Amino acid sequence: MGKEQIVVGLEIGTSKVCAVVGDIKADGTVKILGVGEAPSRGVRKGEIVDFETAGKCVREALVDAEEKSDVMIGSVYLSVTGAHIQSFNNRGAVTIPEDREEIDDQDFEDVQSSAREVSLPAPNMFLHTILQHYYVDGQDGVLNPIGMLGRKLEADFHIVHGVGTRIKNAVRCVKELDIEVLDVVFGPLAAAQVVLDQNQKNLGALVIDMGGGTTEYIAYVDGAVRASGCLAIGGDHITNDLSLGLRIPMTRAEKLKVEEGSATLGESEPGEMITLKDETGFAGKEVEREMLHTIIHMRLRETFELLRRELDPHGFLPYLGAGILFTGGCSLIRGIDTLAEEIFQLPVRLTHAKTMSGLTSAFENPQLSAAIGLIKYAHAMQPDQPAGILSRLARRLKLFAFVLIPLAAAAAAFVHHYLNRS
Amino acid sequence: MITIPRTPVDFARPTLKVIGVGGAGGNALDRIVLDGLPGAEIVAVNTDLQALAGSVAPNRVQIGQSITRGLGTGGDPEIGRNSAEGCSEELQRVVSDATIVFVLAGLGGGTGSGALPVIADLAREQGAFVIVLGTLPFSFEGKRRTAQAMEALDAVRGLADLVICFENDKMADIVAPDASVQDAFATADATLSQCIRAMAALVQRRGLLKVGFDEIATALRGEMRSYFGYGEADGSNRAHDALSAAFKSPLLDHGRALKQADAIVVQVVGGDDFTLNELNVIMDELNRCIFERTRLFLGTATDPQMNGRISISIFCGAAAVEAAPVAHSAGSGLAAVAVRREEKPQPRPVPTAVQRGEERSRPTVAARAPEPEPEPEVEEYDEEEQEEPVHAQQSHSEPEPEEEEALEAEEEEAAPVAVAEAPRAPLPRRPLFAPVQKGRISDAPAPRTAATSAREKQEQMLLEPVNRGRFEKSEPTIIDGQDLDIPTFMRRTVR
Repeated sequence: MGKEQIVVGLEIGTSKVCAVVGDIKADGTVKILGVGEAPSRGVRKGEIVDFETAGKCVREALVDAEEKSDVMIGSVYLSVTGAHIQSFNNRGAVTIPEDREEIDDQDFEDVQSSAREVSLPAPNMFLHTILQHYYVDGQDGVLNPIGMLGRKLEADFHIVHGVGTRIKNAVRCVKELDIEVLDVVFGPLAAAQVVLDQNQKNLGALVIDMGGGTTEYIAYVDGAVRASGCLAIGGDHITNDLSLGLRIPMTRAEKLKVEEGSATLGESEPGEMITLKDETGFAGKEVEREMLHTIIHMRLRETFELLRRELDPHGFLPYLGAGILFTGGCSLIRGIDTLAEEIFQLPVRLTHAKTMSGLTSAFENPQLSAAIGLIKYAHAMQPDQPAGILSRLARRLKLFAFVLIPLAAAAAAFVHHYLNRS
Repeated sequence: MITIPRTPVDFARPTLKVIGVGGAGGNALDRIVLDGLPGAEIVAVNTDLQALAGSVAPNRVQIGQSITRGLGTGGDPEIGRNSAEGCSEELQRVVSDATIVFVLAGLGGGTGSGALPVIADLAREQGAFVIVLGTLPFSFEGKRRTAQAMEALDAVRGLADLVICFENDKMADIVAPDASVQDAFATADATLSQCIRAMAALVQRRGLLKVGFDEIATALRGEMRSYFGYGEADGSNRAHDALSAAFKSPLLDHGRALKQADAIVVQVVGGDDFTLNELNVIMDELNRCIFERTRLFLGTATDPQMNGRISISIFCGAAAVEAAPVAHSAGSGLAAVAVRREEKPQPRPVPTAVQRGEERSRPTVAARAPEPEPEPEVEEYDEEEQEEPVHAQQSHSEPEPEEEEALEAEEEEAAPVAVAEAPRAPLPRRPLFAPVQKGRISDAPAPRTAATSAREKQEQMLLEPVNRGRFEKSEPTIIDGQDLDIPTFMRRTVR
């Protein structure tokens, strides 16, 4: 244990399950030790539909990661996604008791729970309560209110919630392999950790992670999460569209999308055909290139328009200084950035995980953004102490020392006093 | 016990009569007899003695003995009409004392086309609520027959309270391509029988939430196209299964018809074990498939015979403007024209029991208002019908998407401009019974432009049912009523 900490990020995606083993150094840098991948089955639109099959895929990916990194995996950070995950912003407020003026840790806890006092749909549970800004006595721009003097503490939170059972399904899938799930993280939140740096977060940026089954987004404004969500449309849909539109099998459509796909219209010669070869190399069907592009273009255009419609009411879209960062497997489709620029009217950059060292070729793949982001997220969550078993034990001890012992002492004193009197 | 005085004609205890006219009507009737329709009197009427002798209907009436001498009409509607008029007294006896008369006929032939209007007229004079169910001939039977069928349809339109008309061409969609001719006709008859039984059930099984002919007539009123779907299921997931079965019914165009509908009548019948939760499931799923503006009439009833099962009948009507190109409906089997007789210029709500009673007590002469002049839509309907064979062939031989687009352009030109320009009289939207409604009530449909109507027509051109591919079995992603799992290019080019 000690200074270095090994963290595993696991993403059960629609097209692949991937486990990234990272080593967080004492100075905060992250080194990727290995990436285990397995093609995913039994997952649709980011959610597990076939428990047993998905479990096997997770095992394969973890075994692969163990072999590549030479690390025994005992616990993981798990990213979850799915159209059921929703978010909203809410403000919590507490009034500081009359007898003191200084804001302390307890007030911070209280303001957080007051922000959570909203009625979620019955089956939903909180996934994240992310702090945006503090206000002390109405004054905003307070970075850390603890220790400050004030009468009223308010805080804005971005709250992410989802259907409890669906989130637990993903967790159970991992737990059945006797692997502990340390934390559950909404996919784009993890991806944003490696795709964005602090400067971009401050300027304002939108991260779109378009994967196999879902398109997730998270928007940072003024350094804080302002909006996030998930649309159950992804690369699978493009493949499905191609398969239905060009009347070719699913596997062939997937290959065609990867090899020839583009979202730009009008760049091909009129009547230009692509000859599809079968496994033996013989010429099979011919497909018109423009048709291929049109099908991809329409699906992506629609998806972006839906995203834009979801984000427009927030009003921050035109003021995102760092523009849009596009990641996920679908960002590999040619012309997708131009199309997104056209629809969002913002500069779009294709990106992948940054600020890492180690197996560089592994994390330059945009498909891994979320999984690598999990490691960074884990690191960000425990800036002070590495969250190994020992440290958590230590925290428990601390709790014991600070809360329980005085309590017990007080109780003992009280009983002693009472007995003495009688 | 409190007794409630009843008006003479009450829909609560209706007397049903089902009359099958002609060869096709007789065949469908046989099917109904075999399926069983309790509480209804079933009568077969034909000129052809041999066909009549082979019928299993309990009551049989031969007409036109002196004209045809027990043979058929030879496909001449004139002979059919004369035969029926010659036996009007006998036919009058047949239709007397009925609250609701269903008249079934295959249009296009001699007896069906000729005798149907006469019988409908007689039933109407007796004060019954007349529902005509006709089948249009297959297009391969020739244009002449189609023309005769349309003529008969026009004639009966002014006489019946409700006209529902199946297109035989669409029946082909119901059966598998390799089904025998025998099977194909049997399926058509079965569908007709199902439709009648579902309608009879509307009035026979009374539930807490009630829908009746008044709602159906409201939903289908005007120059509208209508669709019918029926599903039945048992087992633990019966609510969902029954609805899926109803949607799968090709006459509902696999649920797509619902999207075009202005009004939908849904009757859910279950046994004593039918739960509110199941009703909830059904309506939730249904509501997902329709627009908010669509008016929904929901009826539920319980029937001890239905224990363990749930059946769902869906009737819906779509505005005629959209439905005009009959030629391109991929699976819409049932085109219905629902009209009120007499008061056509000023349509008013469907008669309640009370009103119908009054009407009946009036001298029949008074009821015979001057025949209303034909409305422009009527002619238009004809035209479209006759164009059908040509278009149908074209679309069958050219299933490639690009060519569909070409067809679309062609169709836009072909669509008569009059469709958009013809002023649509605002239809009365208030039935006298306060119907159970869900969703928003739109007073009048927004005026549609020629462009939108042309595009909406195009939707029906997809010759194969839209497939969700690998998302077939997963939870659909539905935003604003659009199923995003269906390829965008399919949804966009068709809308």
